[in-house]
Amino acid sequence: MQRFLDPEVLAGISSLDLLARTVVDGFVAGLHRSPDFGFSQEFAEYRAYTPGEDLRHVDWNLYARTERCYLKRYRGETNSQLTVLLDASNSMQFTSGPPVKLDYARFLAAALLYLAIHNQRDAAGLIVFDEEVRDFIRPSTRHGQLARLFAGLEQASPRSRTDFSKPLLHFQNSLHRRGIAIVISDFYEKPEVVMENIAPLRYHGNEVILFHILDPEEIRPSMKGPAILVDLESGQKLEVIPEYTRTAYRARIEAHIEDLRVRARGAGMDYQLLRTSQPLDLALREYLTLRQAGN
Amino acid sequence: MGFLAPWFLTGLAALGVPVFVHLLRHHVTIPRPVASLMFFERGTQSSTRHRRLRYLLLFTLRTALLLLLVLAFANPFVRRSTANANARLHLIVLDNSFSMRASTRFADAKREALATLSARPHGDKAQIMALGGLLEVLTQPVADNAQLRSALESIHAGDGRASFGELGRAVRSLAETEHGSIDVDFFSDMQRTAMPANFADVVLPRNATLILHSIAPDRALPNWTVESIEAPADLADPKDPKRSHVRAVVAGFSTPAVAKTVSLSVNGKTVATRKVNVPSNGRATVDFAPLDVSYGFNRCAVAVQGGDAFPADDTSVFTVRRSDPGRVLFVHAAGDVRSATYFGAALAAAAEGSYVLQSMPAEQTTDLDPSRFAFVVLSDTPSLPSIFEHALAQYVAKGGSVLVALGTGAARRTAIPLWGASVQDVHRYSGLDNVPTIGQVDFSYPALEQSQPGHSNGGWADVKVFYAIVADPAQSRVAMRLTDGTPLLLEKSVGEGRVLLFASGFDNLTNDLPLHPVFVAFVDRAARYLSGSERLSGSRLVDSFVQLRASAQAVDASSNVEILDPDGRRPLSLAEARTAQTFRLERAGFYQIRFANGRDTVIGVNPDRRESDLAPLPKDILALWSGNAAGGETPSASASMPREEKNTNFSLWWYVMLLALAVAIAQSAAASGTMSSQRDQP
Repeated sequence: MQRFLDPEVLAGISSLDLLARTVVDGFVAGLHRSPDFGFSQEFAEYRAYTPGEDLRHVDWNLYARTERCYLKRYRGETNSQLTVLLDASNSMQFTSGPPVKLDYARFLAAALLYLAIHNQRDAAGLIVFDEEVRDFIRPSTRHGQLARLFAGLEQASPRSRTDFSKPLLHFQNSLHRRGIAIVISDFYEKPEVVMENIAPLRYHGNEVILFHILDPEEIRPSMKGPAILVDLESGQKLEVIPEYTRTAYRARIEAHIEDLRVRARGAGMDYQLLRTSQPLDLALREYLTLRQAGN
Repeated sequence: MGFLAPWFLTGLAALGVPVFVHLLRHHVTIPRPVASLMFFERGTQSSTRHRRLRYLLLFTLRTALLLLLVLAFANPFVRRSTANANARLHLIVLDNSFSMRASTRFADAKREALATLSARPHGDKAQIMALGGLLEVLTQPVADNAQLRSALESIHAGDGRASFGELGRAVRSLAETEHGSIDVDFFSDMQRTAMPANFADVVLPRNATLILHSIAPDRALPNWTVESIEAPADLADPKDPKRSHVRAVVAGFSTPAVAKTVSLSVNGKTVATRKVNVPSNGRATVDFAPLDVSYGFNRCAVAVQGGDAFPADDTSVFTVRRSDPGRVLFVHAAGDVRSATYFGAALAAAAEGSYVLQSMPAEQTTDLDPSRFAFVVLSDTPSLPSIFEHALAQYVAKGGSVLVALGTGAARRTAIPLWGASVQDVHRYSGLDNVPTIGQVDFSYPALEQSQPGHSNGGWADVKVFYAIVADPAQSRVAMRLTDGTPLLLEKSVGEGRVLLFASGFDNLTNDLPLHPVFVAFVDRAARYLSGSERLSGSRLVDSFVQLRASAQAVDASSNVEILDPDGRRPLSLAEARTAQTFRLERAGFYQIRFANGRDTVIGVNPDRRESDLAPLPKDILALWSGNAAGGETPSASASMPREEKNTNFSLWWYVMLLALAVAIAQSAAASGTMSSQRDQP
């Protein structure tokens, strides 16, 4: 089985469940050889017992041999909470070839949620937003949560424009436990505005990952002649010549990406640029790294 | 302006293609969606406008190209008045034929031509031509007065015979390259005899205007001339009453009946005078006999005394060469005495033959020098002594002539002497029911020449051939064939000489030719042809040609020809003397010529006597001729009447095509520039 499926191939899979399973299983199977990653009940450390601590963690075998009371700690025994914030604005429906940015974001979210619930036993939730919160599925580990999440992803359709303030405020209000927040968007907003809205998540102790989804055509647009461009969100039209897209546009979008990256790092967030032509494993790796560091 | 093929204008519908491509299709731009215009800027409108401007330029060029192509096929023309056209070529033609020597005709014509040249509009181009025996183009169409006057001044009266047909052909040829109007000013005595039999030959093209300047008076002037002379070219015995005489014909044109004195002079000395009554507009014959001339070439002249309007034609010249009878070597096989008998009898019977036959068996020819003989006959000689054969080859290469007859003996030897080829086959017709006769005869061949062949193919059709050798006719001229196609008489040039091959014998066994009267005529003409006296005969017409050598390649230094014209000058340069094959006798008088084979001759050259008839063309013919080109004006009227305007259709096809080509190139450049700017940078 191919380890990482091309996004173009993934676009042909209609079931998010099957898609997520295919991606994650392939991804995890490839990680088994790595000593740095583990998901089972893995020994972490012995720590001297201090009064008041839960006696269930005392290693009684060790006490029988040494008459000293130690607590045995394992990795992964604590469950985390994952919330995916999916941008479903109109700009996410741009594509220069399959998949559409929103579909790619869907695949990514589905894979992450599957990985979190099925493999990590984490609680997972979803917020679909544009300038409003369109759908909110509270994080949970209940049976059927994965199906609900997938249904929420399926129903996400592009509309309106992006506004980070309302959905993130809603997220902060509904969040009662620290966890991991993953924002999937094309971030067509000024970096300082994005950071201004997202940074409070980090203040609440959440681990935040920004997945910046862009089509390759958005980074290096190809134009053969002057064209009238239409903004998918605002409907505004602009006549542009190829000379501009070959020079100034590229410089500006690269500066934008770099600015986002620097500001995210500065705010203690992880930032990852994903082209819709890239496999999803990069995003999964990013999530797991963060998941592990969070323990 | 109009179109010669207006139906092609329907092709203008094709203009819709660029209109659709540029104005309709191109400007339907589908807006292109982008996720956000956040990083795009307008600020590019001027560049886009510039590109649109280039597209419009390309559109214009493409439309113009289509339009021009359609126009080119529709063949547009403009109607132009040739009389008013700015560019006129004045073609000044001066007649310098022999008849222009009469009185002051030539001087008058030249003076009038100079006046016409000076009177032409300033800046108009002119071209000078002289119409004599040939039409000489003396200048290109130029506007330089000095050059034109100089060319006109350089024309002198000649001795040739003018033909107005030549003028018509020259102007028609000129009109093919000169599309503007041509004014043909023709200065001539308008001699009636210069008009060709077919009037169509003198018709000028539509863009040519003929202006006739007649120099001669309207009525014909009386003129007597020595029209023709019959005299022997070679004379062996001055006392021979059959040959030693001169017969001259005196002709009068527009003359009354009058008694004329005719004199014969030899080498400048008058030797005889006769009185003759010349009838009105008639001819009289004068005989001078015997003709007492000395050995060598004698320059003779017959002159008619008495003044007339044209004294230049009163004398007619000729040459008579007195020599011992020419010896003819007749080489035969040892057992063959019949051939020599028949050939010798025919040669002696020939009226003008001046030859003595010396027959000899082939075996006795070892020490003979062929160059001592006028020509050599090899009659059925299967083998020759090698020394003699070599001497014969040298003799022929230097200009000698050999007649080879192939009898039954030739079949025993495959190689034909001097011919350079072998016997291919032998045809024996004896015993056949249908014995072949002579089927084809080339009567233009000098040895067979008959101006009007009589019945039975000039007598040759009765000759039966029983035996003939088939020789390779390659590189030879076949003058006679049998009815089955077998070549019977062939000629091949070898060096400066010639070899005549008769593919049968003279012995009355292989054919019955010796029994026919035509045999005598054949032997006579063949003897004169082979001995070269045909070339050396004493009288020619002006503008006739003399063959100087057999081939254009000089064999060695001694093969130079030498020519002295009537004025004692050498008309040929050294280079021409080494290579010239023929020479045009362009002056009247005595030419002294040494041929490439070393033989000398003196030729008397006389003008064509049709030039002596000074009667001008009738006025109605002149009017018809000039009117054919210019609407019926007469020479006198041409000066006073305004020229009739003629409208000609001037096709613009070439100009439209050239313009289309230029637009196509510009379109390619514009399209290339536009497209290249659309290519993506790497």
